[in-house]
Amino acid sequence: MNCSKVREIIFLYTDNELGEELLVSVQEHVVLCPQCARRIEYTQRLLKVVRKGCTRTTAPERLRKRILTSLRHPEVEWEG
Amino acid sequence: MSGKSTSQQRGWNFEEAAMPFVDALYNTAYRMTRNAQDAEDLVQETYLKAYRYYDKFEEGTNFKAWLFKILKNTFINNYRKKQQAPPQSDFAEIEDAFESRLSSDVSGQMKSPEEEILEDVLDEDVQRALDDLPPDYRMAVLLADLEGFSYKEIADILELPLGTVMSRLYRGRKLLESAMLTYAKEHGYLRSGEPAKMRNNQLREGTKEHK
Ligand SMILES: [Zn+2]
Repeated sequence: MNCSKVREIIFLYTDNELGEELLVSVQEHVVLCPQCARRIEYTQRLLKVVRKGCTRTTAPERLRKRILTSLRHPEVEWEG
Repeated sequence: MSGKSTSQQRGWNFEEAAMPFVDALYNTAYRMTRNAQDAEDLVQETYLKAYRYYDKFEEGTNFKAWLFKILKNTFINNYRKKQQAPPQSDFAEIEDAFESRLSSDVSGQMKSPEEEILEDVLDEDVQRALDDLPPDYRMAVLLADLEGFSYKEIADILELPLGTVMSRLYRGRKLLESAMLTYAKEHGYLRSGEPAKMRNNQLREGTKEHK
């Protein structure tokens, strides 16, 4: 494992998508490499900012009603 | 038992299974269409299609992912068509703009550490940056970061190989990061009156990378 390889698979690491073997070698590298440790920490913060920034809106009540109505009364035609 | 009550039962089952995902589907639809009315129509059609094909859903597999796959297909079929199939160059141009922004950031001597700018990022910067992302990348990022799907689930929803999902996520997030930081830098200057990069010069030493 080297720094550029860590960069390449950094999202797989932060997304918990690495297989056992790669995971262990990243962890081994990070213990000895403060730059990569910092990079990983930054990436985790970045993804947190993205998740927080994607504010969730709840679906409008009329959409819920519209869906239920059309499921229960398929004969009613909806325009659009 | 009459056919009527069986189909009624089927309807209840579907409602019970599917309705909890209205908000999730609506969020993604809204971020993809960037328009409340289109998002509602997209979700509505997704539900009708899902109901029609409910028999085809394989018990024991991921129902949420299945609904998202239908949403994705409906989006591609309707919405992109409705947009009169924007010429490919549109997306390419957006990407080029991002790319040059990326490379100027990377080569910039005066570049301030992303760590610092990240703190200035507002929710609206994230949303603006997301909205600017080419749709293919946006969809991958939304599925991962908004909905928390695994790579395998995303591959299933988008009907793409795992490797393509990984590269879309990588490039999508890099583009997103670059745009977010650019927006944050813009209002960062305005607010402090003092360029963040000056403030952070002393931190630069710590960010050099081992080769
Ligand atoms: Zn390293």
